[in-house]
Amino acid sequence: MPNPTRKFYACLTLVLAMMVLSSAATAQATRPPDRGSGDGYDEGPELTIRERATHALNRMAFGARPGQVERVMEMGIENWMRQQLDPESIDDVYVDEYLAEKTPTLSMTNGELYREFRPPYTPYKNNPPTKAEREKRREEQQKRNRMEAQVEKQLRDSVLHRAVYSQRQFQEVIVAFWREHFSIDQQKGEVGLLANNWEEEVIRKYAFGKFEHLLMSSARHPAMLVYLDNIVSQKPLTESEQRMVDRFEDRENVPRSVRALRRQRGLNENYARELMELHTLGVDREYRQRDVTELSRVFTGWTARWTGNGQRQQGDYTFYFNENVHDTRNKLVLGSQLRGGGEDQGITVIRALAKHKYTADFIARKLCAYLLRDTPSEKLVKEIAGVFRKTKGDLPKVYEAIVFSDEFFYRQNHRVKFKTPFEYVVSALRATGAEVESYDRVDRALELMGQPTYRCPDPTGWYDQKEAWLDPGVLVYRWTFALDLAGNRISGVRVPDALLANLPVKELKEKMQKTVLPAGLNDRTSRIIDEELGRRPNAEQMLATMLGSPDFQQQ
Amino acid sequence: MSPTRRQFLAGSSAFMGAAALGLSPAALAQALREQGHPPTLVTIYLRGGADPLNAICPAGDPDYYKVRPTIAIPAKSDDANNPAVIPMTNLFGMHPAMKPLHKLYQDNRMAAIMNTGSTHPTRSHFDAQDFMERAAPGIKSVTEGWLNRYLTATQSNADRTLRAISLQPTLPRSLRGQYPVLAVPTGGADAAMNAFERMYSCDSNAEANQKNGLTMKEDSKPSDGDVPRVSGGAAVAPVERPEDDLNEYIAEKGEESIEKLRHLKGIVRGQGGGKYPNSRLARQLSDIAKVIKAGEGLEIAAIDYGGWDHHAYQGGNVGTMANMLTTLSEAIRAFHDDLGNHMDKTLVLVMSEFGRTVYENGNNGTDHGRGGFMMAVGGMVKGGNVYGKWTGLDKKNLVAGRDLPVHVDFRVVFAEALFSLFGFHADKEDFFPKYKSEDRPVGYLTPIANA
Repeated sequence: MPNPTRKFYACLTLVLAMMVLSSAATAQATRPPDRGSGDGYDEGPELTIRERATHALNRMAFGARPGQVERVMEMGIENWMRQQLDPESIDDVYVDEYLAEKTPTLSMTNGELYREFRPPYTPYKNNPPTKAEREKRREEQQKRNRMEAQVEKQLRDSVLHRAVYSQRQFQEVIVAFWREHFSIDQQKGEVGLLANNWEEEVIRKYAFGKFEHLLMSSARHPAMLVYLDNIVSQKPLTESEQRMVDRFEDRENVPRSVRALRRQRGLNENYARELMELHTLGVDREYRQRDVTELSRVFTGWTARWTGNGQRQQGDYTFYFNENVHDTRNKLVLGSQLRGGGEDQGITVIRALAKHKYTADFIARKLCAYLLRDTPSEKLVKEIAGVFRKTKGDLPKVYEAIVFSDEFFYRQNHRVKFKTPFEYVVSALRATGAEVESYDRVDRALELMGQPTYRCPDPTGWYDQKEAWLDPGVLVYRWTFALDLAGNRISGVRVPDALLANLPVKELKEKMQKTVLPAGLNDRTSRIIDEELGRRPNAEQMLATMLGSPDFQQQ
Repeated sequence: MSPTRRQFLAGSSAFMGAAALGLSPAALAQALREQGHPPTLVTIYLRGGADPLNAICPAGDPDYYKVRPTIAIPAKSDDANNPAVIPMTNLFGMHPAMKPLHKLYQDNRMAAIMNTGSTHPTRSHFDAQDFMERAAPGIKSVTEGWLNRYLTATQSNADRTLRAISLQPTLPRSLRGQYPVLAVPTGGADAAMNAFERMYSCDSNAEANQKNGLTMKEDSKPSDGDVPRVSGGAAVAPVERPEDDLNEYIAEKGEESIEKLRHLKGIVRGQGGGKYPNSRLARQLSDIAKVIKAGEGLEIAAIDYGGWDHHAYQGGNVGTMANMLTTLSEAIRAFHDDLGNHMDKTLVLVMSEFGRTVYENGNNGTDHGRGGFMMAVGGMVKGGNVYGKWTGLDKKNLVAGRDLPVHVDFRVVFAEALFSLFGFHADKEDFFPKYKSEDRPVGYLTPIANA
């Protein structure tokens, strides 16, 4: 456990001491003596069928919708899991309708998005521009900003809507993983316009394909090229070119060739570094700063432009290999000599990185941490990395190997993950069967909780481990959300009346628990609910209490 | 010695002791800590890369007007609608929008440091901010903020609830890490805390577990006969389960949240604040001032002020950046005046991730650069001075012919702040990863023990 406070240790030690006292006799007899890390053994007790169904829904979905645990048990947990592994086989009409009606920008090309939402400015006629001209420019800029905000909002709405309502829940869980793995930020420059197409054409298109294709398409999409600055990365000046630039520094008449050199901005290592650190090998694995620099030279000229004579009236804004700024000198990347230059050089490197053994390790570990627990067993990581290598990064096979591994239903993976704000909010909307008219307030809640969708300021993406989220203060937002949701005080969101119907207290508690926390309540939570709500049955309060309990923060 | 300082010394026995007994800076900080009135470092982070040259303007350098034909601030002006810089040194003048700080500069309580920044050349916001807030340029494996590391390195059992705060929804990276720091939610939290207080009370949790544990030892029936245990129909024996550990841990965090937040709210809810302008930054500083004045042991506060990425329409003596400088300066001045004597041991340190291009671009703005600036306000500041090494705006002295070079590593500025306020030796403690400073301190602060 990462650095809990001392006070917590004191508290925990007491609890553990009591538990050991009470359970030592029975527990040790049934456990292998060398369990320690839990590798390869279920720490038990074995999950009940109901717990298994809930666990599957917590890992392969954003939690259960009302009655869904029963439905999954009925159809067979394994059958449900197999179905989820093949999203195409599941009908998703409700989501399709929503997307067509509410978020049409998701299916647009970058070219269409630019044409519709980023109209050109009226050019200045005077130099310097007149006050009226500046004023007009300012108005045009504000209008652009408003339109772009709409595009950005549609993307975020679609993300939330799909996570809450899609029947293809495992697809959404996996898409959320890759969205963070290849994180981009709507707030950076033109990424706000490019992210919608990115979500569809990169993340969704390849999340159930080959890792290599996912990586390749991410490398070539304008959103990533802009986000990690590769679009402005150009071959550095040679020494003689630099001398030429210096020679003309104070001259009046500068030859065009020298002016072109002056404009050259030089290498930008941003993408090359993150490609290795965050997208493939993992931090400080095998590569050094020299490799970063050399690799960034490989990717010089990987940029984007308008197809069809660069005219914005038609065509699309897509990948373009700009030979003129590409560095054609030899490079040395991860010990391999790369002779000359060319677009293929970058493609070759990406393919090599996609199948690198460290990439297999890195992706396997990250997926196991995401789908099982924050610190997965080494045995499983090794096994999954093996599947990744053997199948050449065939992602559905990797997912399948994880969720059908022996360890998936081990007790030590059950409800041991702390929900991220996104997982918390989405699972609460699902558990209550809420109807959502507008996601504005939900989006805002996520912002308050510190996880605004598609706006992670770091290229790392939002972390899903508990140490990133379990800060003092954070829970207060969740409690507020729980109270507001149960009280129907979130505008645009409505919890169905049926859930809020008052019943005798025992029935109410049981019904609510079955809906919201279908694997059961922690003993203490249960006791406190009885003490707090045992006398005055109140459905709203009961719901809020369960949604805000420690139990509902777990999955 | 200024009258305010004399008054402060008279009012603080520890300070008197320090002066009389020659307490070391660390011993003084500890003595003040025990009184609940430790020195306080307040960082204000200008996110986006604030432009140094239009804040602390080199108006005495003719090149300044060459590189910024439209957005430079005039050196002199008779026109009130076209205000000039307010002179600081022969070379520098502050932006006219920073007028509220000028009095502090004259009183030697405010200083600027030029050409500050990172040894890492990145011009990417997130890298530069990460590296700076973790004070570990180029080292991505370091994930804890420098302020959090300071808190951890100096923590004790006597630490106050509000030893460090950040009055915004999520912690700035400088405060992220193992030391628990409260990020404060805005409004409406009372109902939530009241509703969940019992649920998140660790004592009652331990008690409950103890009860269950003991009961289990005797027989395996649930302890409370008349309360049905609901576990989804299946009876799960309450033996050691990993999920219960996490449940406990969450409960503990919740309890901590309530404790800290209640405490904080109790303080900031009260009246007695100074006069502040109407801005989010001012409200944050006003709350911080209340915590300091209440003697709650506040040592570190970090707040963000975003929106300094002025690629376009930055403006000159009026306009976007001017308005933001006004907001910043008014808030700091109000904070200074509100704190009175407390300001003798309170340092406000203003910083940003990098500077901006020396040349203005085609959109009346500036792009990401390297060398930036910092500002310090407080009683221990050797004010009335612009620090740092100025090497001019001549192209050959710029990085890549376009950016101010970095002459002052931000770690040197940080180290001096930690030493002056808390007697903390950042070098000795190996506090900055993979870093051995060869640089001399900037000398912008007097250790408060020597005051």
